[in-house]
Amino acid sequence: MEAIVIVTFVVGYLAIALEHPIKINKTATAILTGVLCWTIYALYSAESIEHIGEQLHEHLGEISGILFFLMGAMTIVELVDAYQGFRFITDRIKTKNPRTLLWVVCSVTFFLSAILDNLTTTIVMVSLIRKLVPNKNMRLTFVGMIVIAANAGGAWSPIGDVTTTMLWIGGQISSVNIIKTLLLPSIVCLIVPLVYLQFTLKGKLGQPHAEGGEKAHGHGSHNGPIKGSKAMLFLGIGGLISVPVFKTVTHLPPYLGMLLALGVLWVVSELINPDMDEAEKKPYTAAGALTRIDVPSVLFFLGILLAVSALQSMEILGHFASWLDTTLKDNRIIITLIGILSAIVDNVPLVAASMGMYSMETYPTDHMIWEYLAYCAGTGGSILIIGSAAGVAAMGMEKIDFIWYLKKISWLAALGYFAGAIVYLIIYPYLAVH
Amino acid sequence: MEALIIIVFVIGYIAIALEHPIKINKTASALLAGVICWTLFILSDPSTSVTESNSYTSFLEILKVELGEKFNALTSGELYREFVAFELSEHLSSIAQILFFLLGAMTIVELVDAHHGFKFITDRIKTKNPKVLLWIICWVTFFLSAVLDNLTTTIVMLSLVRKLIANKDMRLFFAGMIVIAANAGGAWTPIGDVTTTMLWIGGQVTTGNIMVTLFLPSVACMLVPLLYLNLTLKGTLGETNTHEGLVHDTTVRSGKLMLFLGVGALIFVPIFKTITHMPPYTGILLGLGVLWVVSELINPDLDEAVKKNYTVAGALTRIDVPSVLFFLGILLAVGALESMQVLHHLASWLDTSLGDQRIIVTLIGLLSAIVDNVPLVAASMGMYNMDVYYTDHMVWEYLAYCAGTGGSILIIGSAAGVAAMGIEKIDFIWYLKRISLLAMLGYFAGAIVYLIIQPYLAVHPPA
Repeated sequence: MEAIVIVTFVVGYLAIALEHPIKINKTATAILTGVLCWTIYALYSAESIEHIGEQLHEHLGEISGILFFLMGAMTIVELVDAYQGFRFITDRIKTKNPRTLLWVVCSVTFFLSAILDNLTTTIVMVSLIRKLVPNKNMRLTFVGMIVIAANAGGAWSPIGDVTTTMLWIGGQISSVNIIKTLLLPSIVCLIVPLVYLQFTLKGKLGQPHAEGGEKAHGHGSHNGPIKGSKAMLFLGIGGLISVPVFKTVTHLPPYLGMLLALGVLWVVSELINPDMDEAEKKPYTAAGALTRIDVPSVLFFLGILLAVSALQSMEILGHFASWLDTTLKDNRIIITLIGILSAIVDNVPLVAASMGMYSMETYPTDHMIWEYLAYCAGTGGSILIIGSAAGVAAMGMEKIDFIWYLKKISWLAALGYFAGAIVYLIIYPYLAVH
Repeated sequence: MEALIIIVFVIGYIAIALEHPIKINKTASALLAGVICWTLFILSDPSTSVTESNSYTSFLEILKVELGEKFNALTSGELYREFVAFELSEHLSSIAQILFFLLGAMTIVELVDAHHGFKFITDRIKTKNPKVLLWIICWVTFFLSAVLDNLTTTIVMLSLVRKLIANKDMRLFFAGMIVIAANAGGAWTPIGDVTTTMLWIGGQVTTGNIMVTLFLPSVACMLVPLLYLNLTLKGTLGETNTHEGLVHDTTVRSGKLMLFLGVGALIFVPIFKTITHMPPYTGILLGLGVLWVVSELINPDLDEAVKKNYTVAGALTRIDVPSVLFFLGILLAVGALESMQVLHHLASWLDTSLGDQRIIVTLIGLLSAIVDNVPLVAASMGMYNMDVYYTDHMVWEYLAYCAGTGGSILIIGSAAGVAAMGIEKIDFIWYLKRISLLAMLGYFAGAIVYLIIQPYLAVHPPA
């Protein structure tokens, strides 16, 4: 039975990668894969159906937390965009040189992602460069680099990405130490691809349209200035920043903070222009913004995460990790492989499996393996576009093709990944906690 | 703190009801109400009504096993917050199941619609008389909802009515009656709606018996408003626009196939559930995935841009996402009340102060128009002991009827109503003025019918 599920997973994965040649939308494949994996598990497993039902119930809770978070963040950014709020930022960036812009965008992404989560950072930054880089081909390269920068920026701060946060909450790493040891490797992970592109990037940013960006859909007829764009920008950014604050104060999951922010912005967006009539106002409200977000990519995520959670529930991932452990022995090699594996399956179950596999007594807080795991699981996902939440969001927003990313970005990401890994392994003896 | 949360809930509820006068979208109010209720809940001091509840003690036991020695280091405040977070994740998972089901069903129906699949049905209905049409629609809804769940039935029937009735005012009445018929039709079969299913799975009612005793009351519940409208309904159906639809679609020949596949996928859901024991949303997602693939492959000669409209990706852009989030907000808010044991206390307070079960259950039905009927029925199941109230006892049957049909009285009282609200943009106040009274009339008529016939059909306690 395990073999059938793995085969289903692999076939689904291939179909997602080959979306364009076989002409089947990746979301359809992802949903079918997710449901089939669970169905096969439910039908042929020796486990009781109640137990499987509970497992599915628990996973769905976690998955939908991510999905509602994603929907909220996308809607908020879309709403700020409708008010042309990003103009206050994009108007200040005057450079026409793609290389300079790339450095600016990547640095901003890197540090933004250390504070906000990778998903939100990616959504904000992709919205920004839509305005700044009208040339589609050039923009795709920018998007690829945003994914790499967002993942690298998240790895070194305890609140910057999910897996580092897991290790921090579990007590495997401490705040100050992880920042000290992983900052340099994370920077290297971003800089290596960036330096390569510095020498090879060709082409122009393209001519921006007068109306501010090429927006295929939405509010084309309203070119005039709309009241409240500055207010919406501040509220939107404030809303996104309030999410980690809300989490710290209330201990409630982040999606609730995001929904709170969305609710507040929704009310403001309805009241800010009292002189407009309903039809005119619609595109500038959250209801209007919700019609423009990419629902298929939300469902794509649902399918993918369901499929991976089936593998996790069947303990295939756990077995795989401990198989690696017994066959390879060397922790550094194992963790490097786990990082690469995290480009294929979700990094959360992989890190969870590793946390269960290595005991805290043998490997105390701030031990090398935990730090290295935080780095590898955080940045390895950039190697494939569906390897990280940031990548999936970018895929939905900019319609990036799996194969395109594989050809143009993957090896850059892999280069950065290994460069950062080497830097970590070199510097850690000097920074290690005894 | 409980009082404060109830006040937030009530204010949120009023804001939803007064969506149009205060000009704040109901989804925004619902989301804020839901999040604020939970925030207050987790920030509050541990209340005795929560810490003395069964769910709290069983949570502590599980946590004790999980954490081992670490458990003793936790303060009571930390334990309380752990409990709230745990309850929230439980609720989120149940809510997400409903939302993904809704999303899937809406998309499938939208897709069939894009392929003009419903034409094969609507072309066969030639009547121009609104009263005749209303009878047909209500009966079809009633029996369809006995097989499919209320939500799916409502979505399908509303799509049909949209094709048949161009006159917007008239259509709203039809939508209101569809909600009543869908809820009434669901009450009398074990698979027709959630609460009856709960009682059936819990062993409180049996299939044969519930159908025999509740069929007539359910019919009465729908028939009374229908007869009233038969006498008073005025107006015409309006001219249906023959050029309706996306693109002039001589190119798309797939209507019939998509209709069969779509309806097949919807009917497949309960079958899938019976075979695999997987929750219904997985069944609908499976159906959606299959339809998605078919919709992409069925017209290979169309170019990408035209084809987009006929694929699921296109259908997803046309469904009403705000109503999905509205549901999320409302259910989160009700979930907070449930976890705080407010609903449970209300039910047992009713029990001690009223005494007569018939009155209590009738009130629970009315209450289910305001809050979700699932926690109400769950609370009642915990309140009445199976030893005293044996299988097929009057209390259970009457509860199945009341909780199933009482939700029609307000538009946000049932899943069918919320779906109708999103699809047809029905206003809370409009429904309150035009339909609520009819629904209530039907509700009481059915209740009286049940209480009259019950002595003749009653099962006697097992010896």
